[in-house]
Amino acid sequence: MDPFLLTVWVVRLLFLGLLYLFLFRIAKALVGDLRAAAREPGAELGRLVVVQSPAGEPEEGTSLALDAIATIGRDVNNAIVVEDMFASAEHAILTFRGRAWYIEDLGSTNGTFVNGSPVEGVSPLGFGDVIQVGQVRLRLERPRADRSRR
Amino acid sequence: MTAATSGLPSILGPIRPRPRGRETKLLAVVAITILAGSVSLELAPRVADPGVSQGLSLANPLHIAVYLGLIGLAHLVLILSGRRMDQVLLPATAMLGGVSLLLMERLPQTLVSQAVGPWKLGLGDVQLAWLILSFSLATALAVTVRSDRWLRLYKYTWAAAGVALLVATYFLGDEINGQRLSLSLGPISGQPAELLKVILVVFLAGYLSEYRPLLVEESTKVGPISLPPLPFLAPMAAMWAIALGLVIVQRDLGAALLFFTVFLFMLYAATGRPGYVIVGVILFLAGSFVMYRLVGTVQTRVDIWIDPFKSPTGDGYQIVQSLYAFARGGLIGTGLGAGLPTVGGNLPIPAVHTDFPLAALGEELGLVGVMAILGLFLVVVERGLRIAASAADDFRALLAAGLALVIGTQAFIIAAGNLKLIPLTGITLPFISYGGSSLLVNGIIVGLLLALSDRGVEPPPPPKPRSRLTRLTGRVTRLATPDAGRPAGRT
Repeated sequence: MDPFLLTVWVVRLLFLGLLYLFLFRIAKALVGDLRAAAREPGAELGRLVVVQSPAGEPEEGTSLALDAIATIGRDVNNAIVVEDMFASAEHAILTFRGRAWYIEDLGSTNGTFVNGSPVEGVSPLGFGDVIQVGQVRLRLERPRADRSRR
Repeated sequence: MTAATSGLPSILGPIRPRPRGRETKLLAVVAITILAGSVSLELAPRVADPGVSQGLSLANPLHIAVYLGLIGLAHLVLILSGRRMDQVLLPATAMLGGVSLLLMERLPQTLVSQAVGPWKLGLGDVQLAWLILSFSLATALAVTVRSDRWLRLYKYTWAAAGVALLVATYFLGDEINGQRLSLSLGPISGQPAELLKVILVVFLAGYLSEYRPLLVEESTKVGPISLPPLPFLAPMAAMWAIALGLVIVQRDLGAALLFFTVFLFMLYAATGRPGYVIVGVILFLAGSFVMYRLVGTVQTRVDIWIDPFKSPTGDGYQIVQSLYAFARGGLIGTGLGAGLPTVGGNLPIPAVHTDFPLAALGEELGLVGVMAILGLFLVVVERGLRIAASAADDFRALLAAGLALVIGTQAFIIAAGNLKLIPLTGITLPFISYGGSSLLVNGIIVGLLLALSDRGVEPPPPPKPRSRLTRLTGRVTRLATPDAGRPAGRT
């Protein structure tokens, strides 16, 4: 076969091959990401970030992973303990039902607020909403799906 | 500040380079691939004409060098920025841009001619210029956007700007082929519909993240189907009306289809309710049927989709030629630069550089090459959805998902149109088609996605108190006041 024609063919196939090599390398990276994500224990449903906490317990900036049911209050038996004199012992409860988070006030003295509005009954929450319990303000954030991405 | 000593503007902050190993490796593959493509492009015409030299060389080495240099520079800037950004997006889009450059070098340069000063620029030159601007814009946004406040807080302002753009296009736009799609402002002209798709995503992300909890929860039951809460159907109706308006007034089927599809995707992403999608598809089918009856353009498009061979030299001409091109390409194609025979000195597909680049790639790279190109788009979408999945709040998640889905949906609509899978609508193939507006807007999208992928950005601002629509549903009845959250007394 004519060596020049052969070169043309080789270069053509090389270009296509390299396109696939590129895709293959990306795919490998993606699979690695997914494996790393799957290895992470206990998929969380959301997290609370402490925006404001005058008494320092919990500390401002702390990020707390949430289970499907999380109670908030001053009592040590709560999932999230807030050391604040305006918070009740059992202040509010966060629940994850199906697709979304809900918050309910547990008959606290000073009430629970979402984005500045008082909570009445069971009220839906969106990620990014700010909950206020006493003087402590907490922001609901989406769960960290994979930390290994970068 | 160390920024002052480094000589960079202080908004960039101190320079702490962060290596991006994965990106470096992937970009190396991109560079080799494009060089190989360029050699292949250069060799192809010499097969028929063996008189000339048989050594290996690059097709238009200056363009390739400038493009690869640009990508390298973008990579360097991202490293220097020190942000933890996604490392796959830039290589994937750089590969698409490189394929675009090879294709535009290969097509007859006379398809586009612009004179800038003493230079006469052809298709390849102009496309390279737009690619440079597009990737510069993407890099600049990726490095400088540290907060999404300007997008999040002004969603209605953005929406108003979008509507103003549409209206301006209608009244002031230039009419080309019976469609008023481009707007000239002095020496600059562009297609506002391209920019509008980003504005739409920003607005929808803001709107849906604000009302998401209510959209998810409330529902109206009609028989076995659980419908979304009726008051919240208003945006869907508005969106539907805008899409139909686009079709009726501007004859812009592609944009209408793109906007409505992206809207449904984002609605589903925000709520996870198939009910919305079902309602949306029913509305879409009803609207399409009415449009088919009323609007001539739609009727023509659907008719040539059902049977382009009814008028192979008339309305169905481009589709028929596109199908022939794919057929000639076969499994591995004719090779870059060896396809696309001219008919009487003209290309068989007049709009090959804007609406039918996939047909040209299908002919020269074959099924294998087209699958790789579609794979690249898939990678872009996957990265976007991954960035969305790890975003801190709903707005960012929906923004990232929406931006990625715009690219994916647009690529699907035009690729499927070229392949006669759905009726042909004239939109561009992202990153590959010739066109300034399209490339710049895609650059904006990539830049925003890169910026959003950095979780170290400023925390989301406190959401505004829910008002109006919340009270409509009777969930939270008391009027929200800014200081309602202050504690009233001791426990």
